[in-house]
Amino acid sequence: MTELVRLTDVIKVYQGGITGALNGVSLSIEQGEFTAVMGPSGSGKSTLLNLIAGLDRPTSGDVAVGGTDLGALGEAGLARFRRDHVGFVFQFFHLLPNLTALENVLIPAQLKGRESADTRGRKLLETLGIPEVAERYPAKLSGGQQQRVAIARALINNPTLLLADEPTGALDTHSGDQVMDLLAQLHREGQTILLVTHDAKLATRHAARVISVTDGKIVDDARLETTERSASDVVRVRSEETSR
Amino acid sequence: MSLKYGVLGLLAEEPLHGYEVKNRFETMLGGTWEVNIGQIYTTLQRLERDGLVRPVGARGDRGKLLYELSPSGRKALVSWLAQPDSGPQQLHEDIYVKLLLATRVANGGLPALLGRQKRAYLQRLRDLNQLEDRARRDGRNDLAQLIRGALLHTEADLKWVDELAADALGGKTE
Ligand SMILES: Nc1ncnc2c1ncn2[C@@H]1O[C@H](COP(=O)(O)OP(=O)(O)OP(=O)(O)O)[C@@H](O)[C@H]1O
Ligand SMILES: [Mg+2]
Repeated sequence: MTELVRLTDVIKVYQGGITGALNGVSLSIEQGEFTAVMGPSGSGKSTLLNLIAGLDRPTSGDVAVGGTDLGALGEAGLARFRRDHVGFVFQFFHLLPNLTALENVLIPAQLKGRESADTRGRKLLETLGIPEVAERYPAKLSGGQQQRVAIARALINNPTLLLADEPTGALDTHSGDQVMDLLAQLHREGQTILLVTHDAKLATRHAARVISVTDGKIVDDARLETTERSASDVVRVRSEETSR
Repeated sequence: MSLKYGVLGLLAEEPLHGYEVKNRFETMLGGTWEVNIGQIYTTLQRLERDGLVRPVGARGDRGKLLYELSPSGRKALVSWLAQPDSGPQQLHEDIYVKLLLATRVANGGLPALLGRQKRAYLQRLRDLNQLEDRARRDGRNDLAQLIRGALLHTEADLKWVDELAADALGGKTE
């Protein structure tokens, strides 16, 4: 197993913040892992993801992704790192309203100047089950479709790391399940995924590792057994017979 | 209680031998309730005594005896099905008593207890998720729905433990 993400003693205090949003977080994530991050509102989950994505910098401590110390990168270097290595999916999609679905998907690719980006963009939309929305504008799409467009955009550059911050938070159960099944599929194909969610059912369904954050600290880091267990080891209907 | 009605329900479909009742009951429950053949025979005898089932054909080798539902058995089944479960909620797990004792016993180690319990619930959630998937793959939507119920219960247990942990830390809850 190769380590992909390493945080060492990370502290984040926002400007004007009295207490830190992260208060000494150390964490290591292996390549290919599907990790869920859970915790109460305001506990620092999004802050954690933003620091790993290089969208923001820690007040102190180190963040390294794929061996690169993000603290050593300047603004341009950080932007390049994000474009080349990180896919980010947000709760509210963050699609640009005046671009079509395909154009949204291609935003990061155009920056990278890829020849076949258009083809790849269309292929991604097809893989995600929404080839028909390519020329449509976000306002004309359902939430689930918008989120799949956002996932395509996150994947366009084959990111080393996919970060998803409550990607199903704004979706109904059915679209949410579809989005999660897509993430699970990507994980099976080797994608490293870090997912923030409030839903423990979803977290444990897909992630074999569940990190709990409270008040800016990791209070639990559970690696779950993934071997299949027999029904009677998991749930018993009325095991004690009381009938007389 | 429900083994009795489980047997009645299966016999409502067609007459069955004791071992068929056992197999069908266990298949219906998808491995979440195992019964031994003795329990089935005792139940059948009791049901026969109460006039809810009756043997079909000649009484011979007990294992081969075929049982069918009587009209009063069908009535009993239908009225049981129509009745909501309104008894007290059953809390079978030790955690409830552990919680009360851990706050009384010096060094009861409540936070650690809750932490370990949380992990156990997370693991159970994962196992239940797999079980639900398997049931759906097997075309057993009824079983998947039962497991879904267990999942939601465990999710509630997890939320409860999170609340207790937040209280124990004197911190804020969500
Ligand atoms: N840009 C910011 N400026 C100042 N404070 C911030 C900023 N972003 C977050 N915070 C504060 O930092 C703390 C952690 O916030 P964060 O958004 O990481 O929490 P979260 O766990 O993602 O919460 P939620 O579940 O509500 O999304 C909170 O107290 C929040 O108010
Ligand atoms: Mg957040």
